[in-house]
Amino acid sequence: MIKNLTATRLACSYFGKIIFEHISFELMKGEILLVQGDNGSGKSSLLRILAGLSTPAFGNIFWQAESIHMHSWKYHEHLHYMSHQNGIKLGLSVVENIQLSKHLSLSPYALAVDEVLQILQLSIQRHTLAAYLSAGQKRRLALSKLFLFPKTLWILDEPLTALDMDFQAIFLDALETHLQHGGMAILSSHHLLHFKKAKAKILRLASC
Amino acid sequence: MLNAFRFMLYSELLLLWRRSQEWLYPVAFFVIIVSLFPLALSVDPTFLKKMLPGYLWIAALLASLLSIENSYATDVEDGNIEQLLLSQVPLSLFVLAKLCAQWIATELPLIILTPLLGLLFHLPANTILILCLSLLLGTPILTMVGSLGAALTLGLRQRGVLLGLLLLPLTIPVLIFGVSMVQQSQAGLSIVGPIVFLTGLLVLTLTVLPYPIAAALRVSLDE
Repeated sequence: MIKNLTATRLACSYFGKIIFEHISFELMKGEILLVQGDNGSGKSSLLRILAGLSTPAFGNIFWQAESIHMHSWKYHEHLHYMSHQNGIKLGLSVVENIQLSKHLSLSPYALAVDEVLQILQLSIQRHTLAAYLSAGQKRRLALSKLFLFPKTLWILDEPLTALDMDFQAIFLDALETHLQHGGMAILSSHHLLHFKKAKAKILRLASC
Repeated sequence: MLNAFRFMLYSELLLLWRRSQEWLYPVAFFVIIVSLFPLALSVDPTFLKKMLPGYLWIAALLASLLSIENSYATDVEDGNIEQLLLSQVPLSLFVLAKLCAQWIATELPLIILTPLLGLLFHLPANTILILCLSLLLGTPILTMVGSLGAALTLGLRQRGVLLGLLLLPLTIPVLIFGVSMVQQSQAGLSIVGPIVFLTGLLVLTLTVLPYPIAAALRVSLDE
């Protein structure tokens, strides 16, 4: 089956004010969509809608020709979503956080926790509470899901925020490999991103 | 799935344990309220023996209200609830795990302390036992109903009072049967009726309420 994501004429409004409308696109395997726009242009809202967390004011989203609202369970099986908030529990340690997301995924293909810690360069902090990590380390921990188990579609809101140059490179490498293996990604980012092989589509949201 | 439930329960308990105010405040509140009653009303032992079960129930009700308000606030703040919405584990299962943890952390200590408070006021052992049993059956219902209120009012500011106004009327049946269980045993009557009723309510809330709570959370997050 062809894995693709289609959005048709999406619109979003907030307290009666239209944030954006007529957003349509199609994403095929191996492609990446970069969402750009000024602050307040609705990037995060669009990503939330695409992840199925919010309902759009108008329009439909289809995953493999099925509406994501009718088949949300099937859609979320293939989706990694990361918002501004890191989605990690501050009261749990690094290892406990990773174990929690491992348990929540119910995925049999999960990587060993130690390997993930090595990729994230968090091995030394493994028993530190997430509350005591730096902003960049928290972000890395939030990104751990991407390495922990494979999923086709990544929807990431400003993934590079707070990351140092080294880890930005590691992340971009991982992203590129993901796309080469037939994955898809939707990113919002203020950074300029260049991809060697992957085909990048750009969606610019007008400021309102 | 069962593994996921167990781990969620474990991590919720760990979180509550590490935030000691979550379980210390309700217990301290409970003890203080109960010790205020004799000061305000009467120190006559026979009067207290008759009235104390009711006071204990009201104190437990207020203490449970105290702890329920912020139950989902941290999950929303750190974005964890979004990850749960998108995960393969049903949200209602998470709700159940969270509520079990919440009950163990905030209500179980009250029940453990009840015999001590009972001894303080010279309650007979039999009454203490029945009182503990009634709290054991009743307080999970309070946690479940309170959680529904917390999920429905998620995102509102200053919801403490609103929660009280919404929830306290809903807890009336639990209060009536919980207290009547103790009163009937004190009067030497059979307590099977209230036990059956409370157990029925407990089973009903445990099996049905996780779904509307999960739905309420979903709606609250769909901005």
